[in-house]
Amino acid sequence: MVAIPTRRQGDLMTAVLQATDLTVRFGGVVALDRVSIDCRSGELTGLIGPNGAGKTTLIDAVTGFLPQNTTGRVTFRGLDVLGMAPHRIARSGLTRTWQSLELFDDISVRDNLEVASHHLTPIGAVVDYFRGTAVDERVDDTIELLGLGAVAERWPRELSQGQRKLVGVGRALVADAALVMLDEPAAGLDRAETVWLGDRLRSLVEAERLMLLVDHDMSLVLRVCDRIHVLESGRLVTTGRPDQIRDDPRVVAAYLGSTGGRA
Amino acid sequence: MGSYVQQVLLSSGAGAIFAALAIGLVLTYRSSGVINFAHGAIATYVAYTYTSLQNDGDLPVPPLPNPVAPIEGIFGIEIFDFPAFVSMGDGWNQWLALIGALAVAGVLGLVFHFAVFRALRYQPPLTKVVASIGLMLALQSAVVIRFGGSRPPPIQPLLPDSVRADTADVLGTIVPWDRFVLLGLTLVLTACLWALFRFSRFGLHTRAAAENEQYATLMGVSADRQAALSWMLATLLAGSVGILVAPTTSLTPVNFTLFIVPALGAALLARFTSFWVATFSAVGLAMGQNVLLYAEIDQEWFPDLNLDKVLPFAVIVGAMMARGQVLPSRGAVEASRLPPAFLSPWRPGLSLFWIALAAAVIIWGPFDYRTGMTNSMIGAILALSLVVVTGYVGQISLAQLACTGVAAAGLASFGTQAGIPFPIAPLLAALAATGFGLVLALPALRVRGTSLAIVTLASALAIDELVFRGDGWFRIEGVPNREFDDPSLFGIDFGWQSGFPVNGDEIPTPAFGLFVLVVLVLIAIAVVRLRQSKLGEQMLAVRANERAAAGAGVNVAGIKLAAFAIAAFIAGIAGSLNGYKLGAIKIESFDVLVNLSILAFAYLGGISTVTGALYAGTLFSSGIGVVLGEEIVALGRYESYAAGVALAATAVVNPQGIDGFDRAQRERLKQWWRSRRADRVIS
Repeated sequence: MVAIPTRRQGDLMTAVLQATDLTVRFGGVVALDRVSIDCRSGELTGLIGPNGAGKTTLIDAVTGFLPQNTTGRVTFRGLDVLGMAPHRIARSGLTRTWQSLELFDDISVRDNLEVASHHLTPIGAVVDYFRGTAVDERVDDTIELLGLGAVAERWPRELSQGQRKLVGVGRALVADAALVMLDEPAAGLDRAETVWLGDRLRSLVEAERLMLLVDHDMSLVLRVCDRIHVLESGRLVTTGRPDQIRDDPRVVAAYLGSTGGRA
Repeated sequence: MGSYVQQVLLSSGAGAIFAALAIGLVLTYRSSGVINFAHGAIATYVAYTYTSLQNDGDLPVPPLPNPVAPIEGIFGIEIFDFPAFVSMGDGWNQWLALIGALAVAGVLGLVFHFAVFRALRYQPPLTKVVASIGLMLALQSAVVIRFGGSRPPPIQPLLPDSVRADTADVLGTIVPWDRFVLLGLTLVLTACLWALFRFSRFGLHTRAAAENEQYATLMGVSADRQAALSWMLATLLAGSVGILVAPTTSLTPVNFTLFIVPALGAALLARFTSFWVATFSAVGLAMGQNVLLYAEIDQEWFPDLNLDKVLPFAVIVGAMMARGQVLPSRGAVEASRLPPAFLSPWRPGLSLFWIALAAAVIIWGPFDYRTGMTNSMIGAILALSLVVVTGYVGQISLAQLACTGVAAAGLASFGTQAGIPFPIAPLLAALAATGFGLVLALPALRVRGTSLAIVTLASALAIDELVFRGDGWFRIEGVPNREFDDPSLFGIDFGWQSGFPVNGDEIPTPAFGLFVLVVLVLIAIAVVRLRQSKLGEQMLAVRANERAAAGAGVNVAGIKLAAFAIAAFIAGIAGSLNGYKLGAIKIESFDVLVNLSILAFAYLGGISTVTGALYAGTLFSSGIGVVLGEEIVALGRYESYAAGVALAATAVVNPQGIDGFDRAQRERLKQWWRSRRADRVIS
């Protein structure tokens, strides 16, 4: 793969996440075929592709949700995470959000973040049970960072779709995650909300939070990401800067199909 | 070897019953998403109706409430009474009786659909389970009320004598012909259902409606009508099976209702989808049972551990675990939606009032109030264990009663036999129950929802057979009085008969009741504290969404194990208290029906809150609520029937349980008061 210069030249070589030859099979169907991608520090990485390209499958595989179906190699900050249980991967600092939100609907927004902020050990659970635990400042900080202060004590189902998306992002961010994989955060949002969300994500990168943004909304990804991977039918088509991706005929073809080629 | 072949062939009768019930279960599930625990009870009811029509020409009428009972009670007169039977001439011809009984079966199916399950279409699986348990209890009690308990009624078989008396010689083994006829009929039924679902418009519409009701409705399919027809079909099926096999098995209310357990196992192996897999699994289970039963008699080395009863359940649990997934797959519908686990502000005044009231009843109440109160408190502790495992973590456990059994047996071993003193012996017993709870939790790591309910029921039954009966570790059968020493601490006794300054000479003395009250208060506080703690928070996260919880760094398996362990510990405490109360272990306490009704009543009280568990305690049979209820309406032998009907009705009208209903009413009252005040300020 060709190294692409980024805005922060100094961090160029530091791959925080490196997935090599990632293959996912469901029975006879190959959902991901020897895909290699990386996320580097200081970058907002994008992953785009048409519906069914394997974007969510890639997140599922990397975060440990498809242990039986995945082969290849995934290292995260030098740690081999393939085969680790999902909660261990999350605790190691690699977290994710969900396209279908998947919030904890029975507990308040603040509690949604609290669950993720605290990695409970058996002894920790006993100590907390008898003595309680100090309030976690990171929860308040994250709520403030995402502008959720007004709804912190409400239940997720009382929130707007955009706010619910942010709760999901907050839950992934709160435990000082080193890399957050965002699965279609803009799905279901209108234009204005998408622009607003994009700005929030950009500001999170400024705050040194690393992210992999997965979406099929090209405009959002092209606008905010530093470097973009393109998937189609389970294969990596190309990797490059937004301007390179925008002009790449293979990407256009992947998105528009054969008619795109003629257009 | 020939004898084993004979056992396999002989088992085809039982296999046919299991299979016929199993395909009925699959049918109901595929058309309305209900796992119908009442299926066996329907077969029983219809079979009894058949015998009654055939022997006496009487059509049984299920017990109905007398609308003018209060007036009759006040004036001491009798105005009106529903008849128990409608007489329709002398004994009917068997074919007429068959048609009559099947008509009753069809009506039952329609009533179940329109009165109960139609309203529950969008409710979580647990609500449907509770409703079907309610119907099962009601039907079974209706049979007991109308026909009496244990003695099978005379029944004229449908199959002609020439078939029944004849035997066949298969590979040198003599087998009665009727077994093959039954098996053949079941296979034909299976083929018919399969073809109906595979090829007919009815089947297509039912499948479409089950897959996506909204789309199906848009395409002009009435999901409601499909479900109603399927219910009718399922009850007709159950009824026919009941009538057909009643002569070859002994028809009693309990026996027949319990055929549902292996049938559920077979349906579970078929994922409630394939009629053929259900049939063959059921036949296989019956064969395995018979062979093991014979081996226990035939082979000296073979342990007498009731393995014939254990193995089918072990197969179910093993198969489900092997097939299950550690986390639900993407797009799998998570089925946990349970009432919210409210965390109310602490109101010391109110709590103290209720504790004082309970203490007053225990000290000064009359005999049945005192015993009722004690039963309710022990029941509430058992319900609290369900609050932890089902309410907080969403894991439906039908095995909490088995935990109490393990603890009671442990108490006998540690306390009475080994002579370990009071607070240590029951704690050790509760720890033994905890270990058992951890074993029960293993399937929960890979199986979820209603399947888990069935698997826990199967494990409870398997371990019950293995541990408590036959040559099992505790061998309770045949040891009627395994007595417990009274609990005492620092020289103060608080057993069932220990002295007390007030009412000390009346059994049960207040000492034991107060002791149970203290234990209940401590456990209630502990469970509230759990809800406030980080562990409780993570439990609710697992209940809401296992995948997302794992993604947020929650150790889902660890949380489930912890919940099962804590719940088993609490149930173990209840078991020890029950042991102290009874003074001996009673084997009936481990009945499947009791197991089912405990979950149902805990749900009725409010499965997600401590207050709900306290309500549940009052509802349990022979609890204080029932004693109080008797003051108003003397239910007598109708108690269990009324409880079953009430369960189904509550699931329909108020699926949040009494606690949720109560909170909603209080909230409305508050709103009303606020708006009144606001109006006054404005005017």
